[in-house]
Amino acid sequence: MILEARNISKSYGSLEVLKNVTLECHKGKIYGLIGANGTGKSTLFRILLGLIKADGGSIEINSQGIKPIGGIIEKPALYGYLSAYGNLKVFARSQGLNLTKELYSQSMQQVGLSIKRTDAVNNYSLGMKQRLGLAVALLNNPDCIVLDEPFSGLDPMGIIALHELIKKLSRQNQITIIISSHIVGELTDLCDTLCILNGGEIIKKGPAAELLNDSVTTYKIVGNNLEMSEVLQSINAIFSKKSAFVSPKMISISEILQKLIEEGQEVTACIPQTDLKALFGGEKI
Amino acid sequence: MISLIRSEIYKIRKQSKTLYALAAILIIEGFVIVSAYYQGAGIIDLLLANLKDSFEFKGNLLNGNLIIYLILNSLWFHIPLILMIIISGFLTSEYKDRTLETVMLQPVGKLNFILSKYVVSIVFTLLIVLLLAVSTFLVSYWIFGRGDLVVYLDGLNFFKSDEAFYRLIYAFVSGANSMIFFSVVSLTLAVILKDATKTWIVSAIFLICSNLLLKIDFQNEFLNELFFSKLTDSWQYFFYYKIPYSTIYFKNFMLFGYTLITMIIGIIIFKRRDIQV
Repeated sequence: MILEARNISKSYGSLEVLKNVTLECHKGKIYGLIGANGTGKSTLFRILLGLIKADGGSIEINSQGIKPIGGIIEKPALYGYLSAYGNLKVFARSQGLNLTKELYSQSMQQVGLSIKRTDAVNNYSLGMKQRLGLAVALLNNPDCIVLDEPFSGLDPMGIIALHELIKKLSRQNQITIIISSHIVGELTDLCDTLCILNGGEIIKKGPAAELLNDSVTTYKIVGNNLEMSEVLQSINAIFSKKSAFVSPKMISISEILQKLIEEGQEVTACIPQTDLKALFGGEKI
Repeated sequence: MISLIRSEIYKIRKQSKTLYALAAILIIEGFVIVSAYYQGAGIIDLLLANLKDSFEFKGNLLNGNLIIYLILNSLWFHIPLILMIIISGFLTSEYKDRTLETVMLQPVGKLNFILSKYVVSIVFTLLIVLLLAVSTFLVSYWIFGRGDLVVYLDGLNFFKSDEAFYRLIYAFVSGANSMIFFSVVSLTLAVILKDATKTWIVSAIFLICSNLLLKIDFQNEFLNELFFSKLTDSWQYFFYYKIPYSTIYFKNFMLFGYTLITMIIGIIIFKRRDIQV
C-alpha cells in the first residue's frame, strides 16, 4: 500500500466537512473520488497533500522518495509571467532540483507539451496549463499524484487527452493517481476503484465497474421505430425520439434485448444510465 | 534554503513590478532634483533671509550635498511606502495566484519558504537603498557639484563639504535599517492579511501612524525611548553638530530587535496556519 489515510476528520466551526474518512491506495492504481460540490473532496485532498491539518486521523505514505506525493488542487496555479521553462525552473529549484535541459525536455515530453514555446504561461490554454501543472507535480518523481477536478473547464478533446496521459502515468510509471470529480462519466472509464463521498463520509467504495453497475437502474435503448415495439410497451418504456428508456424489474436487460431482436427491432445501442441518487446514497448530496 | 532564495530572486527579476519599483524610486529622485534645480535657490534665500543680514555667505549652498539631503528625506515616507507595496506583493501575489499552494505541494518546508521571503525582502530593501544612495550621489554631484551643507534641524546647522559627505553616507546606512523594519512589517502584514489591497491600506496606515507617533510626546520616558515609532529616525541624528552616536546605536539596535520580533511573529503565524488561499 502506498497511501493509507485513516479516520480523517475535519470541521470548520460547527460544520463537519469530513467524518472519519478512510482511504487506502495501492501502487500504480487509479482511484476516483466522486461527490457533489461541497461534499469535502477538495478538503480531503488538501489534507492528503499536507496543505491543511486534519482535526483527527492519520496519514501514512509509504515512499522513500524526496517527494512522496504531488498534485494539483482545482486549477493549476502557475506563475503566469514566466514561461513553461521558468515555471519548471522555479518549482524545481525550490525543492533543490537542478532543471537541466534534459530534465526540462523530459518533463515537457512526459506531459505532451512542446519545448519550443517560450512565451509566458498566461498565454496558454487551460488544457496546456493542466499539462504543465502535471509536469510540476511530477518533478522529483512522486509515487502518488492527487488531481482535484482535473477535467473541469477542459473541452472534450482536452478531457480525452488528459485521460490518456493519466492512464500512461499510471501504467508506465506505476504512479498511484487519485482523482476527484463531481461528474461520474469523467471517472468511470479511467479509475480502477471508485469512492463515493457524500456528506463528508465515504459511503461506497469498490471496483469502478461494479459500483456503477450496482447503481444502474435505467437503460437507454437506441434504435428505429422503437415506439412500435410491443415488448417495450409492455414494460412501460419511456420513448424519446429514436430511443427508449427502460427500467427492468421483473426481467433483465439482456432478456429485453433478446426479445427486441426476436421481435425484429433494429437496436443500435444500449447505454446504461447511472442513477446518481442510488450512487450517492440517497438524500445527503 | 539557498535554492529557495535563488528561486525567489529569479521570480523578482522576472516580475515587471520590480521594474516599476525601481522606476518609481528614480522618478522621485528626479522630481527632487528638477524641483531643486528650478526652485532651490529661492528656498535657500528664504531659509537664510535673516542670517544674510548679519553674515556673509560664500560659495553655492544649493549644491549636491543639499540635494542628497533632500532626497534622503524621502526615507520618511516615499521610499518606505514603495518598499511596503512591493515587498508585501512578494507574498500577496502568491496568495492571489494560488502559486503558494503549488509551492507548498513541493517538498518545501513552510519555515524555509517564509524565511526565504524575509531574507529576500531584506536584501531587496538594501539594494533599493543602495541604488537610491549611489544614483543620488552620482547625479547630484554631477549636476550641482559639491559644497557645504546647510540643514535645518533644531536650528541651522552648517557642515563642510567633506564632513557632509560622510554624514550623508552614514545617514543612508542608518536609514537602511529603518527601511528594513518597514519592509519586514509589510511582509508580516501580508502573512496576516493575505490580500494585496488590504495589506497596502494597512501598510500605508502603519507608515502614516508611525510618522505621526514619532512627533508625539507620550509623557512617558519608557515609551518615548522604546516605542517603535520613536526609533525610525536615527538617520536624522547624523545632522546634529555633535553626532549622538550612542543614541543612534541604541535606536538602531532596538529597531533591529523590533524587526526580528515582527519577523518571528510572521513566521509563527505562517507556520501555524493552513495553506488556504
